[in-house]
Amino acid sequence: MFILVLLIPLLSAIISGLFGKKIGTKGAGILTSSCITISAIISCGIFYITCLNSSTTYIKLWKWFDSELFTTYFGLQFDSLTSTMLLVITCVSALVHIYSTGYMARDPHIPRFMSYLSLFTFLMIVLVTSNNYVQLFIGWEGVGLCSYLLINFWLTRIEANKAAMKAMFVNRVGDIGLVLAMLMILKEFGALEFATINSLLVTSAINKENITIICLLLFLGAVGKSAQLGLHTWLPDAMEGPTPVSALIHAATMVTAGVFLIIRSSPLFEISPLALTIVTILGALTAFFAATTGVLQNDLKKVIAYSTCSQLGYMVMVCGVSNYSTSLFHLMNHAFFKALLFLSAGSIIHAVKDEQDMRKMGGLIKSTPFTYIMILIGSLSLMGFPYLAGFYSKDLILELIYDKYYIAFAYWLGSFSALLTAFYSIRLMYITFIANTNAKKEIFLGAHEPSKNITIPLLLLALGSIFVGYLAKEAVLSNVIPPIISNTIKIIPLLFSLFGAIFAFSLYNSTIVGRIWGPYPAQDKNQNWNLYHKFYTFFNSAWQFNYIINHFLVRNIWKFGHLITYRVIDRGLLEIIGPRGISKIFIKLTQNMSNLQSGMVFNYALIMIIFTTLFISGYQFPKGF
Amino acid sequence: MMYYEYLTVGIILFILGVLGIVLNRSNLIIMLMSIELMLLSISLLFLINSIVLDNLIGQIFTIMILTVAAAETAIGLAILVAYYRIRGTIAVRSLNILRG
Repeated sequence: MFILVLLIPLLSAIISGLFGKKIGTKGAGILTSSCITISAIISCGIFYITCLNSSTTYIKLWKWFDSELFTTYFGLQFDSLTSTMLLVITCVSALVHIYSTGYMARDPHIPRFMSYLSLFTFLMIVLVTSNNYVQLFIGWEGVGLCSYLLINFWLTRIEANKAAMKAMFVNRVGDIGLVLAMLMILKEFGALEFATINSLLVTSAINKENITIICLLLFLGAVGKSAQLGLHTWLPDAMEGPTPVSALIHAATMVTAGVFLIIRSSPLFEISPLALTIVTILGALTAFFAATTGVLQNDLKKVIAYSTCSQLGYMVMVCGVSNYSTSLFHLMNHAFFKALLFLSAGSIIHAVKDEQDMRKMGGLIKSTPFTYIMILIGSLSLMGFPYLAGFYSKDLILELIYDKYYIAFAYWLGSFSALLTAFYSIRLMYITFIANTNAKKEIFLGAHEPSKNITIPLLLLALGSIFVGYLAKEAVLSNVIPPIISNTIKIIPLLFSLFGAIFAFSLYNSTIVGRIWGPYPAQDKNQNWNLYHKFYTFFNSAWQFNYIINHFLVRNIWKFGHLITYRVIDRGLLEIIGPRGISKIFIKLTQNMSNLQSGMVFNYALIMIIFTTLFISGYQFPKGF
Repeated sequence: MMYYEYLTVGIILFILGVLGIVLNRSNLIIMLMSIELMLLSISLLFLINSIVLDNLIGQIFTIMILTVAAAETAIGLAILVAYYRIRGTIAVRSLNILRG
């Protein structure tokens, strides 16, 4: 049963990928969906065994590396963290699989798509179930690879290609951190198993500076995968893939891997206060940055992408104050409501004939009320509305942050991003569903609710986003002691959210203010407009991060690569010293030598006589000539 | 005895022959004649040394050299005539077809 949860997704990926033509599009959909569903049911069983009955399971499979200094086994480890992650991954993935059969119904490459989705799920399961860092790294790289394949699914689109490459490359930057961290761990502990490292941390005297370096490198890996500030640029671009892919990448699997890594390495992080502080600060900044950016995005999916980035900031932030189970809890809730949001967005995009720009939507509440309700539930959960899933984790995160008074600014950044989260959620819903329509007449009239394959996963995810927080809080948060802080502080995030929501609603509702704040403000050229324009451009282009990175980093490295390493070293120095220079010298030398044979008889005679004279007189050439 | 004077004359004759080959660029006959001169000087040196050393082998060699020289001249002149018949000139300068 424990190994089946790994094998079934792999089997479905292989069958759907290799025999996709034989089983057909429908067969591939049914096969992969049912396989992942079985896997989800199994992971429920695993959750029951390992988390509710608190019996951690270790399975040692076979020997992998076996050298004098370093021995590694393929091994599986099912503790409460793994089983919670498994539950999230397989449930969301199963729903995404079912959803994709409806959403991608008219795509000609469904078997390939389903195969990639299943492979993605499999590698994510490998990531969470491994009992050592090397095996975790297989999953880590594997989900990166699968994200490349999935973002690039419509491989004829140049934008999709570029986005996929960007995702791969930016992730590589973080992966280097993880590899270096593994090397440092190996040097420090001599083992890469989690169990060995954790027990060594307790017993032996360890070098704290080295642990700090390890933690920072691990965190670099997490920054790349979980799209924290600095390496976040791939995440919004990953929207080029099909919507179910975005749901899978952003909700359950890929971006959660970074947070998972931090939670998994929590014993290491506990030793290094510096690393924890950095984790908190970067998390808080990410939450704030992504929230401000999300406010002024016009692409439906990008708004949700930036909200993912923001929520990941929350998770990382709370890891920094040593409340890992709260982070896991938020990860779980977030997986449900973010998958719901993405899949509902896909449903809207489906309804308006693949239009993603919110400015070209509007008034869809009458034609797609079901999707409206779904996205309302998802958004309220995201905003931390009381009694929904987001409330249980998000407010707890903010309270726990406030409890660590030395890092109080993170609390305020977090609260302010809660305000902004409410703002952009309401803005999204208002522009898409309530405001007057901007769509073409035939598109607007043709908008309709999607098929059952799409609505049923939405419904299940909506149930998840309502109830998961309440149901799972005892299981996941059993060891968290709620901090004792004043009620005013406790209620501030809620007030902020309400304020943001009401603010957004009133702003977009009133026609006068709406014209100024709307996506296309009135074209008057006064001072206010210019300021607003700059403000808008700054936030709409995500604080100009792409521009800065491309302009100052990527372009310079590119130039260096072309001018220095290619032109000067490769084509210049090495070639002149190497093949081309030598051949040039030899050709010239041989030409000079053959010029000696001029065809003039008297010259030959002269040369003969000179050398005969030298020979007779016993002249010796200098040695080495 | 005037051994060194004879020797000097022989060597000078040889050098004149060499210079005749090297410096001459116009006439193939002069080249042949220079070769004859070189052979002559060598014969002279052989004879001188044969007298001085009181050894008969030098004179035997001289006779052989004379024979060889005669044969060589005959062949050389034959080549020259054949060459002249084809090219219409006997300038050494024009012997440069086989260039490296």
